[in-house]
Parts: sequence; C-alpha cells; structure tokens
Amino acid sequence: MTEYLIRRLVQSAVVMFLITVLTFGLIHSAPGGPTKVFLSPGLSQQAAKVQAEHLGLDRPIPEQYLKWVGGLLRGDLGYTFKNHLPVGDILWPTVGHTMVLMGAAWLLSLLIAIPWGVYNSTKEYGWSDQTASFISYIGFAMPTFWFGILLQELFALKLDWLPLSDMWSLDKEGQIGDLLLHLVLPVSVLTLGFLAGYVKYARTSMLEVLQQDYIRTARAKGIHEVRVVYRHGLRNALIPIITIIGLDLPILVGGATLTENVFNWPGMGRLFVEMALAREYSVLMAITLVTAFMVILGNLIADLLYALVDPRVQLGRKGGSTA
Amino acid sequence: MLSVVVLVMVVVAGCSSGSDDPEPEKTPPKEESTQVDKPAETVDPNKPVDGGTLVISTFTDIVSVNPLFIQDTASADAATFIFANLYDLDRQGNVTAEPWSLASEKPIISEDGKSYTIKLKSTAKWSDGQPVTADDVVFTINAIRDPKVASPGISQFDKVDKVEKVDDSTVLVTLKQVYAPFQYALASAVVPAHVLKDVKPEELLTNPFGTDPAKTVTNGPWKWTEWKQSQSMNFDADSNYWGQKPHIQKIVFKQYADQNTEVQALLKGDVDLTQAIPVTQVEAVKNKGDINVILAPGPVYEYLGFNFKEDNFKNKFVPFASQKTRQAIAYALNRQGMVDNILKGTGKLMNAPFLPGSWADPGDAVVNYGYEPEKAKQLLAEDGWLPGDDGILVKDGKRFAFELQYNAGNSRREQVAAVIQQNLKDVGIEVTPKAIDFSAWVEQNLTPGKYEAILLSWSLNNPDPDGESTFSSKYFPPNGQNQGWYKNEKLDQLWVDGYSTVDQNARKQVYAEVGKEISADLPYVFMYQYGLPEGIGPKVKFAEEDKPEPTLPYGYFYRIINWWVDSK
Repeated sequence: MTEYLIRRLVQSAVVMFLITVLTFGLIHSAPGGPTKVFLSPGLSQQAAKVQAEHLGLDRPIPEQYLKWVGGLLRGDLGYTFKNHLPVGDILWPTVGHTMVLMGAAWLLSLLIAIPWGVYNSTKEYGWSDQTASFISYIGFAMPTFWFGILLQELFALKLDWLPLSDMWSLDKEGQIGDLLLHLVLPVSVLTLGFLAGYVKYARTSMLEVLQQDYIRTARAKGIHEVRVVYRHGLRNALIPIITIIGLDLPILVGGATLTENVFNWPGMGRLFVEMALAREYSVLMAITLVTAFMVILGNLIADLLYALVDPRVQLGRKGGSTA
Repeated sequence: MLSVVVLVMVVVAGCSSGSDDPEPEKTPPKEESTQVDKPAETVDPNKPVDGGTLVISTFTDIVSVNPLFIQDTASADAATFIFANLYDLDRQGNVTAEPWSLASEKPIISEDGKSYTIKLKSTAKWSDGQPVTADDVVFTINAIRDPKVASPGISQFDKVDKVEKVDDSTVLVTLKQVYAPFQYALASAVVPAHVLKDVKPEELLTNPFGTDPAKTVTNGPWKWTEWKQSQSMNFDADSNYWGQKPHIQKIVFKQYADQNTEVQALLKGDVDLTQAIPVTQVEAVKNKGDINVILAPGPVYEYLGFNFKEDNFKNKFVPFASQKTRQAIAYALNRQGMVDNILKGTGKLMNAPFLPGSWADPGDAVVNYGYEPEKAKQLLAEDGWLPGDDGILVKDGKRFAFELQYNAGNSRREQVAAVIQQNLKDVGIEVTPKAIDFSAWVEQNLTPGKYEAILLSWSLNNPDPDGESTFSSKYFPPNGQNQGWYKNEKLDQLWVDGYSTVDQNARKQVYAEVGKEISADLPYVFMYQYGLPEGIGPKVKFAEEDKPEPTLPYGYFYRIINWWVDSK
C-alpha cells in the first residue's frame, strides 16, 4: 500500500511537470500579451516595450519558464504582470469560494442521485424512473446559464424572495445565513446539471449488476430483496460510479464559469476567463496547477475508494486494479 | 446642435419609495394617507443629505490607480473618486479650475503660446496631511516624460521642453513649440512626490502605490479603503479632505462578469449606477419605471477603416485606392439603419473625426453621405468597375473583394459587419467579415498595420480635436496609430496648423477645413458616435447643474462630489 502510494506520487509529479511545460509553452505562444491588450490613442508603443522589459516579458520563453519553476519550488506562485500583485492573494480566495458552491451542489446531487438511481433500477420504467429520465433530459439539454437566468427572473426579480447574485449581501459578509440564502439559486442550477448524469449512471450500473449470476444466487438462497439490492448489488454497482465521481472531482475547483458569471460568484472559473483575456500568464499557470492537482487527486481517491467498497481490489498488486 | 437626450425620472415630492409601494403615485388620496403615516418624508427632496452608500457596477477590474500608469477605463473611473485633478472640464469640454481642482485658476498661457503657468490652491492636502505643492506637479510631469518610467501618457508630454517650480504654489511649463492640445494634458491628476521621489524610475511600475490601498496616498474627496480583486473596491469619504466634503459617505465599485448581469443587479436594486446598459435591454430597464436612463452617446466613434498599403493585399491590388470608390462605399452603407436597428437609436452619425456638438465640430462643412445605393453604383461605374460573371465588380481583371476584421465577442460589431457585408453586396462588392480575439488582433494586425479593412472605434478621452497621431503620415505603424497607412499631404499640414495656435477661433477654421477634406477623401468611413446608455437607480439624486455629461470623458460621474443618495 505504501509502496503503491509512493509510486503514484512519483508518477503524479512527472505528470504535473509535463503539464506545466506544455501549458507554459501553449499560453506563451498564443498571440497577444499582458502589455498588449490595451489600445488607445495615447498609448505609446515605446512605453509598452519598456514595460515588457521591466517585467521580463522580452526574455526567451525557456528562461521565463525556469524563472517561474524556480519561484514555484520556493512556494512562490509569482506576480501578475499588469499590476504586480501576488498570484496567491488573488487565487486562493476564489478556490475557496468555488469549493463552497460546487461542493454544496455536488454533495446534494450525489445524496439525491445515488439512492434515487438505485430505487429506479428496481422499478424499471415506473413513474419515478420516468420522472428521473425527464429531469435528466432537461438537465442535459438546458444550458445552465439559461436556467439560472430563469430562476433569477422569477425568484429574485419578480417574487423578490431570494438574492439575485453574489456570495454575500454588501453589509452581511461572513454571515452563514446570508451565505445559505445566496447559495439556493446557483446550487439548484448546478444540482440539476449534476443530477442528470448521476441518476442515470447509478441506475444503469445497478441494472447491470442485478442481472449478474451472483445476484440470482443470492435471491435463490432466499436472502431478503432489500439486502440483495443494497448489500450485494450496490457494493458492486458503486465501482463505476466512483470512477465517475473521481473524474468529476476537479470541477470542485474548476468551477462552472457560466454559473459563476450569471450569479456573480467570485470563483475560480470566472477568474480563469478574466485572466485568460488579460493574458495574465502567472495566474493562468497557477490555475492550471491547481486543476491538474485535483485531477490527480481525484484519480487517487477513486482508486483508494475501490479498495474500500470491494475487498477484491488490491492496490499495488499487478493486475489487481479493476480501473 | 448637441441633442442630449436625458430622461430624468419624475421625483414626486413627499411620496414614499416608488419601488416598494407604487400605488400612492397613482391615487392621490392614498398618497396623503402615506404622508400622514410618515411625516418624516416631507423634507425637501431637493436638499442634499450626507451619508449613505452608492454602488457602482463595472465589468472589468482596475489595473492600478497610479495616475502615472492609468490607461484602462476601470482604473481611470476609480481614480476620479480619490485623486483631484490639476484642472477639470466644464460641460462644453473646456479646461477650467473648479472648487475641487488643485489649480486655483485657469492656466495662464504666454503671448507666444509656449509657456503655461499653473497656479495651485494653497489649501490642497494629501491624505497623509502633507500639502500638495509645485514639487508634486514637477515630479509628476517629469516622471511621465521619463522613458524609463514607461508611462503610457508620455506622448502627451513629448512637446515639453522644461518644467520649473517658480514657488511652492506656481509651476511654469515651457513647450518646444506651440501645441494647443497640451492644455488637456494638464487636466489630469498628480502623484505625491514625497512618497515616490526615492523610487527608481524603472521600479515605479511595480511599486505598490496604486495597487495597495494602504500605500496609496491620495488627495481627492474619497479615500481608497479596500480592494477585493475581481470583486469590489471601497471608497470612503475622506474626513480630512481639504475641500468641500462630498455628500456620499461610501462608494462601492462592484465587479460583474458582463453587462447583462450588471443590468439585472440594477433592476434588483443591488446596484445604483451602471455605465453600460446593452441597447437590447434599454426597454426592460425603462419599463421598471424608477430608473433614470441616460441615452446620450459617449465620446467614442466607430469607423470602417481602409488599409492603403499594397503589401497587405493579394497581387498588391488595393481595391479602394481611389477616392471615388471610397465615396461609393460610403453611399452604399445604410448607416442610419444601423443606428436605428442595431444601436436602437442610441448613436449619432458622423462624417469626420469630431464629436457632434463639440466646439470643433465642422457641422455642415463636411460631406454628408446618405444611404444612396444607386449613386454608389454610378460612382463605381465611373471609376472603372464593371460587373463580373458572378455579379461582383471587376477592374483590370481583379475582383472587388476584401476582408473586414473586427474583434470576436463584440456583438454590435458582428451585426454591423453583417449589414456592411449585405449593403456592399448590393452594389457588387464582396466583403468577408472575420472575427479575431482582441489581444491577438492588436498584436498581429492593428499594431503592425496588417489588414485589408477593419471595423473599430476610437475613444476620444481627450476633448481636443487634434487627430494628427491617427491620420498623419508621420505616424505610420509600428510606432504610430495611423494603422491604415493613410497619406494625404494636405491633411498632414492642416493637422500641424490646427495645433500650432492657441487661438480657438483660428483652430476652429482649420478643423472646418480638415472636416471638408477628410470627409471627401475618406481614410475611414466614419460611422457613428455611440455609447452604452447609463442607468441610475432611484436612490441617487443630483441637482440639474450636476447631472452626468456622457459626452465628456468619465462624464458619467460628472460632478459626483455634489450628488447624494437617499438612504432610507
């Protein structure tokens, strides 16, 4: 187990390194630059050139990369080009804000989706199953931002029951009750989106398992149906669901840019778009790092969870992983 | 001439808030009963009250409020609250000394037009208690002029020969030549010499002055107290402000992802002022009833810019090289239709690079191009264009086809480009609109002057009519703004004549001449002056003489020091 973890960590470090090289090269080769996004009659090209020099933007890209990695190894994410602010100061609060929003929506959707999907697999094409299908169609087909605008229109503007946007009211920052009120609409939008997929995964995965021979054996032995479904069935059906969940983990920080935009949620998805337009390389690199880290972490957690739900999965032994 | 359409909402005296309880406005008996219930509300609503919070929305964050480096709108907006200017502008755009300006009187210009004497008020102070003196002015101008500082304002001061401190409250600026637009360079903020004088010039750019509220010493009515990046900025009335105190206690600058969410927040009442209502939403905002929508266009105009450099075209053939052809294009475009349908009437046609109604506006002296497709066809035929097999015009075996670039994501330009494509197709010209990411466009096409035609606009943040740096052949790329490589010797000389006298009447005549020539020769097809409508919520109050003036740079906050909020 320990050996397995160490191997995974080394692999992850290599992957992270490759990701940074690739991303750094890609964003620097995109046309435009932090000193070139403004165009006004007063802006002198001379000034832009001198600014680029001061900021080290005229150096060769490999040199800029080494400087960036050097800083990173010392725990320094660098500074923004346009106004020399520490990247961490800008990034970390948004990561937290996004986790609050996405975490709430994600947990809520899992709590609803898994039991519901399992139930639907036992009553195939029943009214509950049909309802879930209908909701899934809506969840898949309706653009989240549009649904968000509809909810705002109704609950915030027409009925005036809920706040329109933001994380807190202007004078109530830090108050949990106020935060919860602000979470209702965006979480509803996101939950619908997540739910659509998860209900279907849970149902399909269960249906597959319930047709297996060992389920028939269990039933033949006279085990109570509830026990058959939840003990013998669900444990096996969870493995593909965990894979999906593991792969989805990065969205906890990656955020839902459109939802964050509509609800003016100060999260990382919004930050990424803003910084990409401004060509703020160091912030973009930091966001890439955080996202890559979450992908790797998600996969690792999924692997560990396999072992937890299915004792046959033995980590670290060749050929033992079902993933 | 200047038709500013200002829709001021009707303030009903002694009535309760319209949004909470709209009934009393319609039925007088109920209104009376409301008054009895709330006697406190009978105070004169036209009398300013102190206190309260004003929330202003924006969709971009600031870069830095350091006056030496401001070149984006959000930073410039924020700076208007916290920095006093040497001079301010009156409603007509003239340089003047207001009670809140640092100067005590208008600049005194010498007989020969080359020296400007700046007299400072002795009362002005920085937020750390130090007086604002001639040293600050001298330091600021010299810093902007120093190439090592890399200030974007350097070109505004490149005609300066020397800057001298005469005494603590007097500065003498001498120019190398007469240059009339220079007075507008003085209508700007200064930085505190005592804070920045020991910083190396090349380190001013990364100095926390301008990005750290605690280290940004200011001299305006409000002081900068908080900045949450990409979220909001707070400005609180400075209790030590040297002039007449502002009424509004706190200004919050709140960032939204885009204009649509800004408008939603305005409708909800989360935001009191937004500078940019998309034209498609104006009706919805007006229907709300209690929001003051100001429709006058801003100091910005859009143009269809031609490129005259042969290397940019296939076979080195510039299809619009001849003046007659360019005039035909102008006649073929339905500009009024664009203003009516795409801008929903919020624009004003232009035929020369002068804002309608400004002092230099040549008015009827310019050629006015109506929508006359038949005339366009006739001019094209006279110019030697003949219909080809596919209906597209041909001259010397070459088809009349060109690419029109604009920035991706700008829905106004996207729609306008489509109309241009259709209008020109009607007269036999093939246009291929092409959208490019803004930052890439600037670097690859605009700065080096590499394109066939563009749809772009100029924002006239300086009310002076001088346009040499955009139209003179002295300013070819990559170091100038004449990106279309336009050359007209007569105009080159007229621009010089225009700034070489400080006599405004003489200048007016020169610019009338410029207007005549440029509207006939058409380096651009000048399209229209435009600007997104400003929306002001019911809480915000101001006297008629302090109302916003959208045609001025940053005019949406014009005289905000005299505004107040009705904080119930």
